[in-house]
Amino acid sequence: MSLTKYESQLREPLVDGKKTYHDVTVDIVHTIEAKPTRLWYIGFYVAVALLLFGVFSVYMEVVYGIGQWNVNRTIGWGWDITNFVWWVGIGHAGTLISAILLLFRQGWRTGVNRAAEAMTIFAVMCAGQFPIFHMGRVWMAFFTMPYPNTRGPLWPNFNSPLMWDVFAISTYFTVSLLFWYSGLIPDLATVRDRAKTKLRKYLYGIAAFGWTGSTKHWQRHESLSLVLAGLSTPLVLSVHTIVSFDFATSVVPGWHTTIFPPYFVAGAIFSGFAMVQTLMLIMRKVMGLQDYITLGHIEAMNKVIVLTGSIVGCAYLTELFMAWYSMVPYEQAAFFKFRIAGPYGWSYWLMMTCNVISPQLFWFRKLRRNIAFTFIMSIVVNIGMWFERFVIIVTSLYRDYLPSSWSPYYRPTIWEVGFYLGTFGLFFTCFFLFAKYFPVIAIAEIKAVLKTSGESYKDEMAPLEVMSTEKFAHEMLHHDEHHREGDVHVVHHDKH
Amino acid sequence: MIKQHFEASAGYRKWTLGLLAVGGLILVLGFIFLGLSKDEHSQTRFWAVLLQNSTYFLLVVNASMFFICVTCLALGGWQMAFRRVPEAISTLVPVFSGIALVIFLYLIFGPNHHIYHWTDKGHIEHDSILKGKSGFLNPWFFLIWSIVAMGMWSWAGAKMRQLSSEADERPMENDEAKNFHRRNTVWAAIFTVAFGLTVGSTIPWFWLMSIDAHWYSTMYSWYTFASTFVSGMALIALFVVYLKNRDYLEWVNQEHLQDLGKFMFAFTIFWTYLWYSQFMLIWYANIPEETIYFKVRMHGPYRAIFFLNLILNFVLPFLLLMTRGSKRNYTVMTFLAILIVFGHWLDFYQMVMPGALGEHYSLGWFEFGILALYAGLIMHFVGKALAKKPLVSVNHPLLKESIIHHA
Repeated sequence: MSLTKYESQLREPLVDGKKTYHDVTVDIVHTIEAKPTRLWYIGFYVAVALLLFGVFSVYMEVVYGIGQWNVNRTIGWGWDITNFVWWVGIGHAGTLISAILLLFRQGWRTGVNRAAEAMTIFAVMCAGQFPIFHMGRVWMAFFTMPYPNTRGPLWPNFNSPLMWDVFAISTYFTVSLLFWYSGLIPDLATVRDRAKTKLRKYLYGIAAFGWTGSTKHWQRHESLSLVLAGLSTPLVLSVHTIVSFDFATSVVPGWHTTIFPPYFVAGAIFSGFAMVQTLMLIMRKVMGLQDYITLGHIEAMNKVIVLTGSIVGCAYLTELFMAWYSMVPYEQAAFFKFRIAGPYGWSYWLMMTCNVISPQLFWFRKLRRNIAFTFIMSIVVNIGMWFERFVIIVTSLYRDYLPSSWSPYYRPTIWEVGFYLGTFGLFFTCFFLFAKYFPVIAIAEIKAVLKTSGESYKDEMAPLEVMSTEKFAHEMLHHDEHHREGDVHVVHHDKH
Repeated sequence: MIKQHFEASAGYRKWTLGLLAVGGLILVLGFIFLGLSKDEHSQTRFWAVLLQNSTYFLLVVNASMFFICVTCLALGGWQMAFRRVPEAISTLVPVFSGIALVIFLYLIFGPNHHIYHWTDKGHIEHDSILKGKSGFLNPWFFLIWSIVAMGMWSWAGAKMRQLSSEADERPMENDEAKNFHRRNTVWAAIFTVAFGLTVGSTIPWFWLMSIDAHWYSTMYSWYTFASTFVSGMALIALFVVYLKNRDYLEWVNQEHLQDLGKFMFAFTIFWTYLWYSQFMLIWYANIPEETIYFKVRMHGPYRAIFFLNLILNFVLPFLLLMTRGSKRNYTVMTFLAILIVFGHWLDFYQMVMPGALGEHYSLGWFEFGILALYAGLIMHFVGKALAKKPLVSVNHPLLKESIIHHA
């Protein structure tokens, strides 16, 4: 016998419950084939209602102008840009899971990547709304597109990071969408092949692009995945880097700080994983997917949360220190007078508590594996990360260089709040539809790890774990160089 | 039969001795002709070069232990077949800490204030900014925190190495393996947190950023980390290739080398990302207090080094490490590992010298001599550490994963 992959028993199985390939298909596809539950309808209608309220709020702003919001000349960016950055940040986990965790060969990504990627796409869709409607005259939005035009010398300002954002986010959205959809194709074909009704067969047939599962198809599919993973990796970093440039290129105290790009990326991954936890914990319970999204998966994501939370904490403290160390009175005032103290001081401390202090509890294994605690923490982190952006934007703007333009206390109007709620509506409407009509776990990818990381296969491997290392190496090691990556997951049983 | 214990070959010993002899001689000559010179610039040159090398190589060898600890926390298995190599490199942390400490003691309490201007009490009186910073930039805080940092790295590192030896003794049962892994995780976490509080933040401010005492950048420490981490990975790769060429490390193959190459490639890009972020944001905002740092480097006497830094540390490794084949090729990897270690040495050179020496810098016999001395020290101590333990901890519960490994 020789192996092409071996997994230590220290690793828990990625798929619990001794599944066969058929079990995997049935477990994941059965919700698509059944009628939605009442819970689904309730959730979906609530989401649609929120969405409609959001549409109305935006209508108010478009028709009656930006004065419907409480943003003013001093606090020019308020809730809208806070929400924008918050949603973009959430949209980071999916692509991190599909691209960067792929590079790091983290097998557990297969359990959560599909839903996380879907979440990414919906979150970016929500994010995009805010800068567009913040323009006020939204019918001029196409001015951001550079094309030979009749406006004479009037071109978008390519020196502006806001302009870079247009490209960064639209590129990110496009590649994430392609990545997500190309991964879906084999699974959509599985749904098609099991379809009992003509209509379903027809629609999933179109969606599956005529996938047959031939070797050629798989080969092309794998190459495409590799190319898209390669494209996504820099994109995960670039999007929030450029969002951070929106602030950091300026000369506003509290905004102009060089650590912003990597710190924003870490924060984005932090909040993205928190949102993945929120969704997965509900989804695995409601849809009965506990064998695929195991405690091991939850723990792994909590580790990412404590890591990125600590990186973010390191950045907060660095900023605070550097504001003092710089001996620039404006920086010192921004941080020590108007941020950690002053009328908005509460928001700073809320941010610190939610993002830096409380996630430290995840150093304890018991808490990392506690579902209720994880769920609460995932909400806490998302609140904290919203306040991070609020703190950065509002507390740097409300006291600028000119005391005469210092702003009174900023509160959003109902239409600003409504717009935000509306994006929740959009997000969950999309997510409910996704959960009903798409395989929420990558069926083909789960099958690919079943043979090395499924529970029954791990049991089979137990004798190897106690074998002496020399014997193991002698018997299991390929000494030829013929095999390639393609057969990494296959266990060969050839006779000696 | 594959050898389990490293024995330094005659060639290895010859090179080690040669480098140590040349380096030692140059150190003595440097001390006589520069250190004891009446010329202030020569004196400063002597100490600045020692500072550059001692901080750089200390952080580079410490990156090895960081690598061990983060792979442990992430439950990585692939590195087990060569883990003893970074372990051996990390034994240098206390050694290089000691050397650096001697240099710091002279620099913060000695008469030379050209490197750390903030140690000059007379000057601070007229400098309101440095006066304001003196709560942080003061000799005792610097010294105590440096000792604490070095102590934490050395101590947690020693614990990790000690734990690793347990896996040499006998095979572990399932529960024993879990327990072993848990204890490893605890110490790895302690090291990593200590690392974040020192290398990830405070230590580069003290040791390096305070050379340009008026200037500040929040990115600085992460930038320093990126610079030394990528070099640390390159140094590991260099020893792995060497041992492999001498028929050691039976279970290491091109797959492992390719993964090391991926780390070098990825963190080359990461370094560049941080370099660019720091540079671009300062350039864009164009605040004189900040741009002064790059003005002397980019438009002043360091222009050539400024661009060479980017070529050596980004352009060349980025292009040459891109393909799968190059990461699996022993010769290419050796070349790039040396290039990266040297490139970031030069990066540290441009971090230290402009603030210390300004236009009076030189890059000649003394600089390269001290580099040779450090190369010799690394070869000597790593060789010794490698010979002490078996090259593979044969009963480590994750070793089998590393034996069956595909990049």
